[in-house]
Amino acid sequence: MPALERLVQFTTARHRLLTHNIANLSTPYFKPVDLDPKSFQAAMREAIDKRRKRPAPLSGPLEIRSTRQLRFEPNGLQVKPSPRNENILFHDQNNRDLERLMQDLAENTMAHNAGIQMLASEFDMLKLAIRERI
Amino acid sequence: MFGVLDTSTSALVAQRVRLETIAANLANANSIYDAQGNYSPYRRRVPVFAPGDPTTGNASGVHVARILIDDSPLRPVYEPGHPHADANGYVYYPNIDPTMEQINALEASRAYEANIVAAEATKSMIQASLRLLA
Repeated sequence: MPALERLVQFTTARHRLLTHNIANLSTPYFKPVDLDPKSFQAAMREAIDKRRKRPAPLSGPLEIRSTRQLRFEPNGLQVKPSPRNENILFHDQNNRDLERLMQDLAENTMAHNAGIQMLASEFDMLKLAIRERI
Repeated sequence: MFGVLDTSTSALVAQRVRLETIAANLANANSIYDAQGNYSPYRRRVPVFAPGDPTTGNASGVHVARILIDDSPLRPVYEPGHPHADANGYVYYPNIDPTMEQINALEASRAYEANIVAAEATKSMIQASLRLLA
């Protein structure tokens, strides 16, 4: 459950940046910024592996290390986005890449909704355990 | 998460202002008099965007920073009998190229659509999150 919580936190923060990038498609001198899902996934993998090696792997917090862009704190996720820098510089000094932005938006939305659905089924299982009735 | 919708809305507003400016440019492509009826050919208006949304005070989003007046040369048309023809028989018409305006209108409407998609994605994420509570 803490892993899913982190996933939802990450996708929400990334969605905020992606919508900001899409909003500024026509803004001169604007440079799109993003969070790298690969570094988040690597940090998550490490944290989950570390947790599994503990004597009681199902209890206790998930300790996820901070990356260059992400810092998980008790009161939420602190982000430091980096430039995307993946397309040519247009004449208005904006290096937008609409297709890739829309792809990332779709992927991020699906990851978020999948995380929420899995959280919902975990909650359902908890409810079932509390009720002790199928 | 609700604040993310403000980002897309700010972009929709900005792109609509851009489309309105283009419509005004196209409508006035042959206007050589001003509102007072004096000879003063209409000059092309160009909206310039900047990141941030002053309406909500958010750093994410976009707004129309200024609407510039294009100082490029007016379009001379040879009409010797015209009451406003100069010594060489030329009348100066607005510096508006309908082709360029149409291309800009297309770009603005595509950007508008991209922001609609982003708003839809945000809505689906909010709905999924709210379903956890209900």
